[in-house]
Amino acid sequence: MPKMTQKQYHARVSDSGSQVAAVVERARAGSRTAFEQLVDLFQGDIFRMAYYRTRSSMDAEDLTQEIFMQAFKNLDRLRMPERFRGWLFKIALNRIRDFNRKKKFRALFGALDDNDKVAQPYAERRDRAEALDKLMIQDFWKQVGLFLDKLSRMEREVFMLRFMDHLSIKEISQAMGKSESTVKTHLYRSIEKFKKEHSMRQFLQEATA
Amino acid sequence: MSTDRELHLDENQLLWAVVEEAELPLPLREHLSACPQCSANKEMIEQDLVRMGQMAERFSPSPRRRVSLPVKKARRSIQWSWGWRACIGAAAAVALILVITWWSPTTRTTHRDNANMLALEMQEAEQLMTEVGRLVENALPYMYSDISTESNATSDEEFMQFVIPSIEDEILSYDLENGGVLLC
Repeated sequence: MPKMTQKQYHARVSDSGSQVAAVVERARAGSRTAFEQLVDLFQGDIFRMAYYRTRSSMDAEDLTQEIFMQAFKNLDRLRMPERFRGWLFKIALNRIRDFNRKKKFRALFGALDDNDKVAQPYAERRDRAEALDKLMIQDFWKQVGLFLDKLSRMEREVFMLRFMDHLSIKEISQAMGKSESTVKTHLYRSIEKFKKEHSMRQFLQEATA
Repeated sequence: MSTDRELHLDENQLLWAVVEEAELPLPLREHLSACPQCSANKEMIEQDLVRMGQMAERFSPSPRRRVSLPVKKARRSIQWSWGWRACIGAAAAVALILVITWWSPTTRTTHRDNANMLALEMQEAEQLMTEVGRLVENALPYMYSDISTESNATSDEEFMQFVIPSIEDEILSYDLENGGVLLC
């Protein structure tokens, strides 16, 4: 795996910011092709974001569809095209939150299989396990899950948006509707906890060695 | 050397540097860019975080289908469908309220009470009519029925007819005396 600093990693996204704004402008003007370009640009990010939070590719696909439909309908309301990414993630966060709330509600009445959350992702990843070490994948998600469970709801969301969804602090602030200083504080706390996760960090280093 | 050690970033500063380097005061930023030890410590955390992000991406499935967008005309139909959905929802809610109101214990009790009251009134009216009928036939109370002639009126009537014949019988007797035909 090529080594890339955090700065370089985020720069990859922010460099295309102005180009995205131009596409958003065209989409707002009614260009269907422009919106399709936006779908091409962000479908993967939104799908993964939903997948990290639902651990089900079917749910993630349905959510991605709903998120883009909502964005498509409400694109006129976006005042600043350069903030499209944060705006899209805000829609995604709300939709995923609603989804998880409904899922919990259904689980209360026993409508949800207990194995749904754990067994399904591993079953879905079985196809990919031919290329990647199945045990490593399972171990990775287990470690990530254990670590994320140690964080508060806000810390977890900020951490995931920053290091898994690769949003900037400004975009996180926009997506979560919190001030940048609040975001930074939660980010600080989550990194502090991450730093203490020696076994996880060792696993990450060995896996990419 | 000791001065260098004092200038090294502590854990708190190091973490803030990972969060956002611009948050640090200028002297610390300058030190961070110049000190290989501090920058190595910072990069170590950053690398682990980047590794985690990359592995999460690598160990996730890819979307199997592309997002499908509605055609332009469909935007209106979506609004219409939402309108219809809202109407159907409102109608269902009203129907539900009516059903709940109709079947609520209070309403059900009232209906049952009304039916019971009506049946009671009809029963009372029937009893009253029976009483009136009975009084029409015999106005005397039951205790006086034994000494009353009303009860054996039929048998006494024949006897009284025999003792005191009616005017019609008298006419027949008269005719008999006058050589008329005896009818009975």
